[in-house]
Amino acid sequence: MTNDHPLIQVKNLDLYFGAFHALRNVSVDFHAGELVGLVGDNGAGKTTLIRVLCGIHAPTSGEVFFDGRRAEKFHPKLAIDQGIETIQQSVGLCDNLSIARNFYLGREPVKRILGIPFLDFALMREKSARVIRQFGLRDNVSTDDEVERLSGGERQSVKIGRAVEFKNRVVIMDEPTNHLSVREREHVNELAVQLKEQGLLVIYITHDIFQVHKLADRIVIMENGSKVADASTDAMTAEELEEVIRQGGRVVEKRETA
Amino acid sequence: MKHLVRSQGFGAVIGVAVMLAVFTLVDFSGWWTVPTVSNVTQFASILAFVTMGEALVIMTKEIDLSVGSVYGLAGVSFITLEPPLGVPGSLLVALLIAALAGLGQGIAVVKGQLPSMIVTLGGLFIARGIIYVWTGGSVHNFSPDARAHPLTRVLGGELFGVEAAIFWIVAIAALLGLMLWATPFGNRLLATGGGRESAESRGVRTERVKIVTFVLCSLLAGFAGILTLCNQPQTHVTLGENMELEAISAAVIGGCLLTGGRGSILGAILGALIVVSFRYELIALGAPSSWYITFVGVVLIAAVIFNQSLARRLGHSV
Repeated sequence: MTNDHPLIQVKNLDLYFGAFHALRNVSVDFHAGELVGLVGDNGAGKTTLIRVLCGIHAPTSGEVFFDGRRAEKFHPKLAIDQGIETIQQSVGLCDNLSIARNFYLGREPVKRILGIPFLDFALMREKSARVIRQFGLRDNVSTDDEVERLSGGERQSVKIGRAVEFKNRVVIMDEPTNHLSVREREHVNELAVQLKEQGLLVIYITHDIFQVHKLADRIVIMENGSKVADASTDAMTAEELEEVIRQGGRVVEKRETA
Repeated sequence: MKHLVRSQGFGAVIGVAVMLAVFTLVDFSGWWTVPTVSNVTQFASILAFVTMGEALVIMTKEIDLSVGSVYGLAGVSFITLEPPLGVPGSLLVALLIAALAGLGQGIAVVKGQLPSMIVTLGGLFIARGIIYVWTGGSVHNFSPDARAHPLTRVLGGELFGVEAAIFWIVAIAALLGLMLWATPFGNRLLATGGGRESAESRGVRTERVKIVTFVLCSLLAGFAGILTLCNQPQTHVTLGENMELEAISAAVIGGCLLTGGRGSILGAILGALIVVSFRYELIALGAPSSWYITFVGVVLIAAVIFNQSLARRLGHSV
């Protein structure tokens, strides 16, 4: 896998919600084995961009290439099948189901008896148990326990573990450390780096430029639906990038037009 | 045991035990007789079919108010279409009509993004209206030949002195229980009610799950109507009236939470048993039959309080 061929390539993407111009001519490349921080204020378009990548919104115009192939249709199921996993704070786990059931929701392993697909409970328990131990859940948590019992950090760990288990190629983390304790935040950030080191593309969405600057290889800043900065963390310090955000992207515009 | 306590049917198990204990104390000689037990289980089985469907719909966080009318419509279709189509033919067409009612309402709820309470309230009136127009208010009967048809006997007769409906409820409840608990569809159904957005983010097509569940619910209600008429082959325009309220009550008494995602097939059956037993026993004890509705209301509220506190004790957010 060469790094000059992007895993995800977004070209001249525009998206309107009615008259509202949510994404304005956005082009950006993402490579495998890269941790990219996607930063911007509320309403800057970060989440909208991500929702296109994971199939929730179809763009009004522009193209998305995944592994060199142009995406024709946009549907969450298609994105999942291509190995794009999104980890959101409030979404992704059903409180009323056990860890094992949540782990395999939507792609349950089955054993056929008389042709009828029955859940393969043994496999579901065994595999999800291995993963949740590896991702640091309390020892007294069983895979039969409902997700309701878990702390915020443990929930994020289950989602991240699930992303790894299904051999995903892209993990998008949308504000993954909101509402977490300091220790849990560190744990989740370590996991993000771990995923990258395993060769996955990690897109990390946050408000907190200082936090993500420590982890990321590259920072992409969005403002009013446009990309206003795209710089490696070696090239620009967190303070410089923060200034870009504070100026609403004008610093970079000046630099580009100069 | 731990599994039973955590399952949503547990409150109903206790409810049935308490109810039987009270009836035994109050009316031992009247309650534990063959005709009483046989009648109660027969009627409870019929209501249980409707309740199981209702419970599945409630588990997806929707509601179906049309089940009583669909029950009546399927029953009326079954009887009125028998002369031209024969028993098997009219059975199939009646089930098809029920399935279409569920399909239409399911699609309207999901694709129209409408509240199911309103859509199925409309369904309740539409199906009831069709019954009135179709029968012209008159009573229809099966011919002696149709009554003697093997299919009518299998659905409405007796085996070793036990009503056929009881065999049917055991068999179909077992299948539905397995479906809910041990198949991918069941997992997705519970996920749809417990966290629709999360389910969708995992690629679950929740719209499809809901439509299938509405169809299943209407089919079960229709089948219950057919079972009733195979047993007593005479229709009336009021067939199944207010049954939706009994079914919803029974589902809730059986531990279904209206917040979605929680419930059980066993609970639905026990809930139906409680509702029917109260109706029967109150009449047997000589209470005016009108009091029955009031009692169902009291039992319903008591059951909700009990089930919710049980759920909270187990740490569920309700």
